[in-house]
Amino acid sequence: MKHLKIKASFVLMIAMILFSSSSVFAQDMTTDAAEAAKSTASNINWLIAGIAILLVFIIGMIFDILSKVGDVQKKQVINWGKINAYLALVFLIVGMSAFAWEMTVHGKLTLFTLPSASAHSEEYDNMFMITLWLTGIVFVITHILLFWYTYKYKEDKKRKALFYPDNHKLELLWTIVPAFVLTILVVRGLIVWSDMTTSKDKDAMNIEVFGYQFAWNARYSGADNKLGKYDFRQMGIVNALGVDSTKEFAGDDVITTELHIPVNKAIYLHFRAKDVIHSAYLPHFRAQMNVVPGLPTKFDFTPTLTTNEMRVKLENPNFDYILLCNKICGSAHYRMKMKVIVDTQADFDKWLKEQPALTAKGTETNSLHSFLSKENPIASN
Amino acid sequence: MSAAAIHSDDQHHGDHGHHKETFISKYIFSMDHKMISKQFLITGIIMGTIGMLMSLIFRLQLAYPETSFPIFETILGEWGKGGKIDPNFYLALITIHGTIMVFFVLTAGLSGTFSNLLIPLQVGARDMASPFLNMLSYWFFFTSSVLMLSSLFVQGGPASAGWTIYPPLSALPKAIPGSGTGMTLWLVSMIVFIVSSLLGSINYVATVINMRTKGMKMTRMPLTIWAFLFTAILGILSFPVLFGGSLLLVFDRSFGTSFYLNEIPADLAGGIERVGGSPILFQHLFWFLGHPEVYIILLPALGLTSEVIATNARKPIFGYRAMIGSIMAIALLSFIVWGHHMFITGMNPFLGSVFMLGTLIIAVPSAVKTFNYLGTLWKGNLRLNPQMMFAIGLVSFFISGGLTGIFLGNAALDINLHDTYFVVAHFHLVMGSAAIFGMICGIYHWFPKMFGRMMNESLGQIHFWLTIVSAYCVFFPMHFMGLAGVPRRYYAFTAYDQFNVFVDMNKFITYAAFVGGIAQFIFLFNFFYSMFKGKKAVQNPWESNTMEWTTPVEHLHGNWPGEIPHVYRWPYDYSVPGHDKDFIPQITPDYGQTDPLTEAKVVPAEDRKKIPTLEKEEAVLFSLAKRWLGFA
Repeated sequence: MKHLKIKASFVLMIAMILFSSSSVFAQDMTTDAAEAAKSTASNINWLIAGIAILLVFIIGMIFDILSKVGDVQKKQVINWGKINAYLALVFLIVGMSAFAWEMTVHGKLTLFTLPSASAHSEEYDNMFMITLWLTGIVFVITHILLFWYTYKYKEDKKRKALFYPDNHKLELLWTIVPAFVLTILVVRGLIVWSDMTTSKDKDAMNIEVFGYQFAWNARYSGADNKLGKYDFRQMGIVNALGVDSTKEFAGDDVITTELHIPVNKAIYLHFRAKDVIHSAYLPHFRAQMNVVPGLPTKFDFTPTLTTNEMRVKLENPNFDYILLCNKICGSAHYRMKMKVIVDTQADFDKWLKEQPALTAKGTETNSLHSFLSKENPIASN
Repeated sequence: MSAAAIHSDDQHHGDHGHHKETFISKYIFSMDHKMISKQFLITGIIMGTIGMLMSLIFRLQLAYPETSFPIFETILGEWGKGGKIDPNFYLALITIHGTIMVFFVLTAGLSGTFSNLLIPLQVGARDMASPFLNMLSYWFFFTSSVLMLSSLFVQGGPASAGWTIYPPLSALPKAIPGSGTGMTLWLVSMIVFIVSSLLGSINYVATVINMRTKGMKMTRMPLTIWAFLFTAILGILSFPVLFGGSLLLVFDRSFGTSFYLNEIPADLAGGIERVGGSPILFQHLFWFLGHPEVYIILLPALGLTSEVIATNARKPIFGYRAMIGSIMAIALLSFIVWGHHMFITGMNPFLGSVFMLGTLIIAVPSAVKTFNYLGTLWKGNLRLNPQMMFAIGLVSFFISGGLTGIFLGNAALDINLHDTYFVVAHFHLVMGSAAIFGMICGIYHWFPKMFGRMMNESLGQIHFWLTIVSAYCVFFPMHFMGLAGVPRRYYAFTAYDQFNVFVDMNKFITYAAFVGGIAQFIFLFNFFYSMFKGKKAVQNPWESNTMEWTTPVEHLHGNWPGEIPHVYRWPYDYSVPGHDKDFIPQITPDYGQTDPLTEAKVVPAEDRKKIPTLEKEEAVLFSLAKRWLGFA
């Protein structure tokens, strides 16, 4: 009776596999050539899923049968202790190879393979690499020990475990060594952190980045390098940023939807949000800061490679720097981005001159300023 | 039944059979800690299944952002129009997935289940200090689960501001549909949940401190109890802060206050201009719970695995005192590091460096715990049953996820990693997978105690291998997405050319997630099948030392039929030299033994001379390495 049940379910399984695969072919025949490839692809995924479920089911049944055989014969047919020990070894080897593969293949896709685009990114990348090496070594050693022990000390009825409850010296050792390593990381990390968060250049160019659902604006401070005051009560359709153009410093401010920045010049970004928290993330420059309504935040950095230079270096004519929103902010959060273009100083001045300022008079001042700066580069640097 | 009758140790009542136990008092409004733990477990498993299915839905979206799945329209209706998930509903899914997993599965489901089951049984008490509060704790939890799930069915959908519900997004219904009724229900549910958690925690602490049986000194408690004790203390000290924080958010949302809002124009905020508050204040309040919460989740899992590893390695846990010390250190430090979630909120960089220092210090006790686990496995006699495999899996995830924490805890590195997939990978490994593995390990180990039956071993092993492989396949590649700057909580990556390289990886992750999901159904089948049809359990199936295995297989109210046994030794007397059996239960008398811990300096049994002492010359690195790899 039992055998019958098992046989019956096997037959059922084979029937199901045949049915599902035949339905794939049937689909192939009926749909037209253009759609054939697509529909087969999605059907095969379901087929694979189905087969996977069935495989698990079959394996489970095989083990069930074996253990029942074992019960009848009064001895252990499947020794999970042994199987697991060997599987642990396999897992260790395959896992470590996968780890190495990931590091080399997927590691190439990370930002760290790109040329550094801002002044502090080299320091940042060094910190990252040091941490990566230290943690990587610990990762490999501890995992080798963990799974090797699992294999090595599998149960043996003839052996007794070693009664070894304590060894203060050993424990002291593995408290002090991690503490020492972490001290290195902390000290170095604090240095990098303070380098990245203190602004060194007092003459940095002030730009405001304004985030709202679901786009960004940039506001340039114009010739006076001072951002005009804003009032959140004035934010509306006409005056999205709520800047009062009649106030001091505001007249020459320039509002744009793209962020152009000059290369090799300190940029001081001031962040402001209209509605909810956003986060301005500039991955290529190793820069990020939350953009909080009613709480001014800032970040400063110096870009070192223009967009064009980067395109040449990467041999990718479509490359662009981006500023993307990295704090959940609503339905179109995933599309909230702004193009960032790093220009040479000359190109930047030219571009800024073409943008209208808040007032006509402001535009005039800006043009005059950029005209002057072209004559006399010291004025702008 | 009166609580006094249950608690009296000196004179036992043989009248347990005489209690009038109706179906309602036995299975529903039960005050028996064993039944309450089962209630917690099964509610937790149901919530966990829901949370997991949600993750599969949004994984499909991430792998096939352009494809339409007609099935979504069938099951999600309005939210899956045309077979595509609505972006708002995607955010709702990730929010509720996170909330369910963090609070309902890994806080209540894990700590609620095993604290309830094991605290009275392992310290030798007839029940919790207050069975009534214990019952209330479960029913508050149940209510909050129902409230949370009901938010799936309200206008505008459930809360969708991420499980961290940062205002103003969560405070302004205009900002996202989920911040309407759904968010109100989320907050109410969370407030009820906190009440449940506090009732439970107070009970756990009171029971551990006051109700240990004779001879059960604090230093003779199993590490599970130590972990539960500190978990409960963490909960008592940190959950009220979230309670307050949520209440203020309720005020902001419903009564027009501005605790968390500043410079919000009137048209966005329900006609009232909001000035003067700070959105960052909420983050401080949230993470003051949120970070200890990570350890509220992790410590019980570590406690359970300590017990399981020692039992199945047939070896005392290595460095019992160091383990307790590291639990204490982690618990203490967890209160002063919450700011590492907020490095880039514009906080004062000096404050950031303080938080960074504290955060990285936590790695030291964590490293001690890891090495102590390895020390326990070394020269053990490992019974590689499912619970042991899951315990080993936990150690593996704890290492992998813990190490990536060193990147994120570093304020400087966090600037570019914050809120990317690197973070997703990190916490799913260290807090998600590790804690789930601890929980499953506990279920396999204590299933015979809970239900009097054994789970099927082969299914358990298949479950383990599928789960660990799929979990690594899901979460490991995510690190690289994070390092390439891919932000989390994105509905699709189609708007960014540079993220196209991850299309295949996203598909691969989704396949792996589905394999993992199927594996969990194997577990569910095994669990519910074994509950009714499993092999009958014997009293002490794992040959364990702790006290819960001295109670009869059939549950009775009051746990022990006679007097509560006394405890004479610590719980880790495995493979003691000079004994026939390789375990000596805690209740085995040994009047000569004063305090095993002060005496148990290294007395290796068979090969006393072989143990390296660091002063000796032969203990050079090579020979040490040989020993630690087991060749000597």
